[in-house]
Amino acid sequence: MAHLFQVGAGSGGMTVLDIVCRDPRITHVTLIEPDIYKPHNVIRHQFPPAAVDRYKVDLAAACLLERRPELHIDTLRCSLMDAAMTERIDTAVKTCDIAICAADNEPAKFHFDMLMRRHKKPWTLGEVLAGGIGGLVHWFQHGNGPCYGCVASHLRRAIDTDQGRPPDYAAPGGIAPETTIPASRASIEVIASLHAQITLQLLTHGSTYAPGFTSLLFTLEAVPGIFEEAFRTYRFRIARSPDCLICRPDESPIDLDRAVDEALARLNQP
Amino acid sequence: MSLFDNDAGKRRLLTVEIPILERYNAERDEAFRIKVVRQGKSLVLRYRLKPMHNIFELETRLPDGYPILPPETRVMTPLKVCPHLLDGQTLCMWRQGSTRETSRWDPAKFTCVFAVQAAWRWLACYEIWHETGEWPMPDAR
Repeated sequence: MAHLFQVGAGSGGMTVLDIVCRDPRITHVTLIEPDIYKPHNVIRHQFPPAAVDRYKVDLAAACLLERRPELHIDTLRCSLMDAAMTERIDTAVKTCDIAICAADNEPAKFHFDMLMRRHKKPWTLGEVLAGGIGGLVHWFQHGNGPCYGCVASHLRRAIDTDQGRPPDYAAPGGIAPETTIPASRASIEVIASLHAQITLQLLTHGSTYAPGFTSLLFTLEAVPGIFEEAFRTYRFRIARSPDCLICRPDESPIDLDRAVDEALARLNQP
Repeated sequence: MSLFDNDAGKRRLLTVEIPILERYNAERDEAFRIKVVRQGKSLVLRYRLKPMHNIFELETRLPDGYPILPPETRVMTPLKVCPHLLDGQTLCMWRQGSTRETSRWDPAKFTCVFAVQAAWRWLACYEIWHETGEWPMPDAR
């Protein structure tokens, strides 16, 4: 019997959730997703076109129950960082056995990482690269392994997957719009399936899980200057960074509010 | 994570940001020290920089989502319209975006003093541009 905590029921997140929840060990799911299923989602999602305008989290629960009516599902229609839901989310994380992050923005990933470290839970993260040229799956375990900050910092330097053009600095006046190149359903399925497989292995092996990487990059397209070949794996063994400002051990005082106020006042003294 | 709303943010302030601000200030004359002002859920750093010939007044705001979200630095001293300058005289330094690939800000490595140093470098480029018409780092992305 295992409790799965997942954030994200987008096209990738729903595929991971569907595969992982077919495993009979999963008996309880907590799913967080604030979004509504929109017409532009239909091309990449497994939900039917008729489900447009309904909450993704409700659609996901209905899909899971169709196959596993005995599954206990808690759904939260909110953002992971919704201040009003902090306590409820914290309680769900505390009781989970494994967690999946299928969020697509950096603040949510860092927040997810913080929750997992706080409650010492194993978790996985999947990322489909823009344009569906490949994807990454990361797994995390409490202990000496890296946090998401260590991994993100390492990958920012190790691989360049950014195909976006730099902003036009000759015309200042605003941040250049972000270019997002949608991934295909096929590429999302491949990476989400890898994500599910690694999640299930982590659930099986627990603290002894040692696949030989902490992050797995799988290329799906050859892209000049980025990936030489399609269908190639890159295995990253990313260690915990002793200099990481996110996960380094701290010796802060118990009364944090007072300590912060005193420290800020001290800074402004002549 | 946010700076004042939860323990993780407060710990980040106490163990990372404030100590490094204290170190920065310890090496400087009073006029060039960073002053801090709490504004709601944000922390604002006010300071002066003199990269070359001129003194500039600046404000760096650590937003509610800091350090996951990058600091925002504005020059309070009037500037000419120039490259890499956004609305409100905000410096374009991190090429912000919602993904890891589109932001140069690294919350695991950078502190607010890094943002101050980046502003110093930006202003040095500005002074060169002001004299020559050429931004000295043409490959800036």
